[in-house]
Amino acid sequence: MANRSNVGGWLQGKTVRKGGIASTNSHTRSSTPQVQSTSSTVFGGGVKDASGRTSEFFSMDDQCPVCKSDRYLNPKLRLLVSACYHKMCESCIDRLFTLGPAPCPICNKVLRKLAFTPQTFEDLGVEKEVAIRRRITKEFNKRREDFPDLRAYNDYLEEVEDITFNLIYEIDLSRTEARIQAYRAENAALIERNIQREEAYAQALKEQEDTERREREYRAMELRREEEEEREEREKGRREIIDKLETSDKNAAKVIAKSRANALKRSTARSTSSTILQSNAKLLRSRAARSTTVPDVPHVPLQDDWYAYEDMFELKAGYQDFMSEAVRKDREGIMRGGGYKVEEAWERALRCAVAGLDLAPMASSTSVTDFDSGGDIMMASA
Amino acid sequence: MDAVEKANTERQRRWAKDSKVGEGAYAVVYRGREVATGRKVAIKKIKVGQFKDGLDMSAIREVKYLRELRHQNVIELLDVFSSKTNLNLVLEFLDSDLEMIIKDRSLVFLPADIKSWMAMTFRGLEFCHRNWVLHRDLKPNNLLIASDGQLKIADFGLARDFADPGYKMTCQVITRWYRPPELLFGSRYYSSAVDVWSVGTIFAELMLRIPYLPGESDMDQLKTIFRALGTPTEEDWPGHTKLPDYVPVGQFPKTPLRDLFTAASADTLNLLSKCLVYEPRKRITAREALFHPYFTALPYPTHPSKLPQCTTQFSGHPLEEVDGNVEMNSTGPGVKANNSRLKRKLSSPNDDTKTRSIARRLDFTKHTPSS
Repeated sequence: MANRSNVGGWLQGKTVRKGGIASTNSHTRSSTPQVQSTSSTVFGGGVKDASGRTSEFFSMDDQCPVCKSDRYLNPKLRLLVSACYHKMCESCIDRLFTLGPAPCPICNKVLRKLAFTPQTFEDLGVEKEVAIRRRITKEFNKRREDFPDLRAYNDYLEEVEDITFNLIYEIDLSRTEARIQAYRAENAALIERNIQREEAYAQALKEQEDTERREREYRAMELRREEEEEREEREKGRREIIDKLETSDKNAAKVIAKSRANALKRSTARSTSSTILQSNAKLLRSRAARSTTVPDVPHVPLQDDWYAYEDMFELKAGYQDFMSEAVRKDREGIMRGGGYKVEEAWERALRCAVAGLDLAPMASSTSVTDFDSGGDIMMASA
Repeated sequence: MDAVEKANTERQRRWAKDSKVGEGAYAVVYRGREVATGRKVAIKKIKVGQFKDGLDMSAIREVKYLRELRHQNVIELLDVFSSKTNLNLVLEFLDSDLEMIIKDRSLVFLPADIKSWMAMTFRGLEFCHRNWVLHRDLKPNNLLIASDGQLKIADFGLARDFADPGYKMTCQVITRWYRPPELLFGSRYYSSAVDVWSVGTIFAELMLRIPYLPGESDMDQLKTIFRALGTPTEEDWPGHTKLPDYVPVGQFPKTPLRDLFTAASADTLNLLSKCLVYEPRKRITAREALFHPYFTALPYPTHPSKLPQCTTQFSGHPLEEVDGNVEMNSTGPGVKANNSRLKRKLSSPNDDTKTRSIARRLDFTKHTPSS
């Protein structure tokens, strides 16, 4: 049960607000007991890993840049990260920020005590980038399906990357924030829908896991039941032998041998029926074990942008070309019945006409051989 | 030595032939490798000298189309060179095919595995169709599996470009069990829908683990199809009674696919039924199929590297005696002949080979070259 709630926590991990909701605090606290803390305040947030835990970065060379206290002087030293990505120790934070918001001793930005988070990565640049990307993907969650073509989607990705870059390197902050605002206002409904889609997916994944677990349990139960039956069978066989020995007047050794043979026959019949089932179960198990190594990826209908540039021609309802005359007339309907599509012929002609328009000519003969080192001599010479 | 000859020898030196892995009437297949990198390849040597009317048609087709198609899910033709009087095709080396995997009883397929194979098949087929190439011989043993699990469409010996108005095409193509009804009715004007039907029957075969529509003759094939899917009415398929070889084969009622495919999801059956629509113009196209909800629904398609792989190892037992045509057909990468004991047991093998070789013969002589 605990395991499952963890999975849920990870899947919703993206939506957990950074920096201080009571529930996430307790969560972090309970799962990171190895961190010794001198402060009475509980610091939440930070970067969570797949199981919803925040693993803290910890080094023997830690030193608080504010009070210069280090791990030698204070073995319980714990450095936390401020909203402006400066480190300081818990006692400095308690000292400076307990009485309310105060300026950062390093950069003078006004900070609050609860906005300090545990440090996960050694490099604070990474810490910052992860936090920013997490924030951005929460809202910039459009998918390929939301765009008419690949070009538009690529433009969108470019813009997102641009905004992220600006935020990370603090370029043009006010304008970038304005861009985010504008995007949020424009796409509120879509963002909401994509969040729901994401949640629905998480839900489906959970359900799938549940059914798999149930199946496993069922198989285990089945196996137990079979063992039980087999045991009873053996017990019964033994009793039968004793009964027979009691009542019949035949040779004792013969009676025993006969009933043994019977029992053997019964058990082999049973085991052959169950081995197939068992071996299947074993195979499935080994498959499941492998599935953790390489994740399955969702299906992408087309992996290139062949059709993204269909705006180069327009197919009309009909053409008066002599080549397709027979097909167009088709008095007996035999071409229609066979599924011949004259539209395909027209489309092919148009496509071939516009196919190379966008391509730059190859620069030199060396690039030709690079492009196709297996170039066909017979075709080239023909 | 002129320039062409020089280029040819240079080309020939890039590849080294190793052991022979299969032989047919028209070609011998060798295992080989690239000299520089040691990469495994299959070299298909086509015997030119034996033909009265020049080079074998299927070799021409194979070279013609494979030179133009390069895709993850289509077998790659690496090189072509001539040695003495022979033509050599250097192909990607692939260890197994889908038929071997279907027949390997020690493997269990998950629905996600089938989805993954179908997605790769449709992807490869979509690529052929967008380049205006009909494959015309899709069946499990022409879908080869690379060692990384990628599925590759192979054997373009019957391929042809389409959408060229005014040319008749032959209807004696595609192995019978995978042949669509319009070809069985002798249609000479058809479209990419014929390949989609084949993929539909392969889809069903992946689920059933036995061929879905195993007809014993062309006539029986129609009967088998109609028994499974119901006899089409004029409404289902306008114009089919006008097709050249149309013969009424009896009335069979429509039965829901659900009765046979009890464990399949609704999405699966929806896609399958769309692949097996009688009216070819209404049949789903490869491109539309890729957008079908079946592929986007859970579970995700299995990652190719985790798909069940054939457990049968490469072994050097003697080659099976087979008709040259059949051999030629199945030696895509040339490995097939080794696994002769995995060859499909036909209910009437002689009959099948006969019709197949007829298909070939018609192809050589009567077919007007499309170029």
